[in-house]
Amino acid sequence: MGIPEALTTLLAEFPYAVYGSILVGVLCAVLGVLVVARRVVFFGAVLTQVSLLGIALTFIPPLDLLGHTGGALSVTALAALLLSGWLTDRRVPRDAVLGVVFVASVAVRMLVLQKAPQVEAAEVENLMRGDILFVTPGLFLFTLLLSAVAFALMALFARPFTFLAFDPETAEAQGYRTRRWDRAFYILTALVVAATTHLVGDLFVFGFLVVPPVAGMLLARRVRGIVTVAALMGLLCPVAGLVLAFILDVPATPAIVAVALVCLSGAWAVARLRR
Amino acid sequence: MEPLVEFAGVTLGYGRTAVLRDLSFGIAQGDYFGLVGPNGAGKTTIVRAILGTLIPQAGEIRFRPLGNGTVRIGYVPQRDSVNLVLPYTVGEVMLMGRYRDLGLLRRPRAEDLRAAEQALDHVGLSGVRGHPLRELSGGQRQRVLIARALASRPELLILDEPTNGMDLSSKSAILDLIARLHEEDRLTIVMVSHLLDDVANSVRTIAIVDREFFRAGEVRAVLTAETLSALYHMEVRVESVGGSTVIIPGRARGDS
Repeated sequence: MGIPEALTTLLAEFPYAVYGSILVGVLCAVLGVLVVARRVVFFGAVLTQVSLLGIALTFIPPLDLLGHTGGALSVTALAALLLSGWLTDRRVPRDAVLGVVFVASVAVRMLVLQKAPQVEAAEVENLMRGDILFVTPGLFLFTLLLSAVAFALMALFARPFTFLAFDPETAEAQGYRTRRWDRAFYILTALVVAATTHLVGDLFVFGFLVVPPVAGMLLARRVRGIVTVAALMGLLCPVAGLVLAFILDVPATPAIVAVALVCLSGAWAVARLRR
Repeated sequence: MEPLVEFAGVTLGYGRTAVLRDLSFGIAQGDYFGLVGPNGAGKTTIVRAILGTLIPQAGEIRFRPLGNGTVRIGYVPQRDSVNLVLPYTVGEVMLMGRYRDLGLLRRPRAEDLRAAEQALDHVGLSGVRGHPLRELSGGQRQRVLIARALASRPELLILDEPTNGMDLSSKSAILDLIARLHEEDRLTIVMVSHLLDDVANSVRTIAIVDREFFRAGEVRAVLTAETLSALYHMEVRVESVGGSTVIIPGRARGDS
């Protein structure tokens, strides 16, 4: 099967998979520029695991009333709220705090799933991996709405977010309440990660929070250039990955991330040649 | 003359722990004020109190309002404290100095761009607006951070360790620039440093800070061998060489 034919089939059979993965790709890639710049990449990884814990908890009554999306969103938002306080505590290193939350999320999730009633292994596997191909219209619309809100907030708060990432001391001296803005950034990131992890899985979300921004940093000499490169990768890599997965009959998420990594390798080679 | 900033019986600290107790001193308008002391002595704590980011546990910090009813403070952080992961251009960094006036959404006006341009020109860097900050030398980066503070049109300029880690020529150039801002622009300057020689030969008044030790006044009265020996727990000599004050450390007390 050729690429045009595969793409046509994908758009006809799984339109929300294509649109959803593009949406998540662009959103995570753009947000990821700030995540990488603030040196909180591990925070993104931890949030994906917390989000999975939130989904796992909804297998237990009465938390099942929240639904998988509600569980992921509420647990991740709560974790981000707590983490934003713990991460500014200087007695314990930031990565150690994140490490503890990471381990706790994975361990509790495994225990919960082991003991949860009426859980089938295949269902759990799909939820944890993110079943891109079977994204429902409702879930897609929810993510679209959340993406619009997230992009609007990123644009509205661009000044405090970038100032605090660049020079928090002076930002505070200028009257920005750094703790409050840090908390806002962490919660925004948490909500995006929670909603998108449920849609496309932890590997996709964490991959696109990191890989496109790093490629942008290798290729571009201006911040706008970095954001543009990251957004373009967020737009194109999911489509290319889905097509590849369809043609080669391999799982979609690893294929999408693999395409992003190939692009990153290309960016690295170009950066080396330029030097 | 009423000071521009006055500490009246101020105790500063974090949580329930007091770091500095019962500080009383003033910074006069037009002064060039040095804040010196060993690392961890509490210099940054005093700066944070002046900036309003640390509320005193006791006492009061009074500001004498100037033109528009407040004291506008420009702050220059240690240049190594800025995060250079993203390649912000000098122009973008300069506009951050105007964010206080711009708020969240207002587009920079001609006045903001002009203030940024003039400030860059003032520190001798008018040609680098489009360059990424991280590609400049340490001395140039420091000048940009000073220019960004100037772009907010401050009446009081606070510089945190502005010459730390610089070679001799860059250090001399930065100290000359600060002296020029003080003498020609009549800015009130507070320079924080642990480099005694830099401060001794630049400022008019000085405060020596340590947790259990605080003295403020004219440089000659405060920066004496006795005071410094007591502060650093070692023999220290203060001498004049070619018109400049030189601090000469001796043997640490307790060394054989």
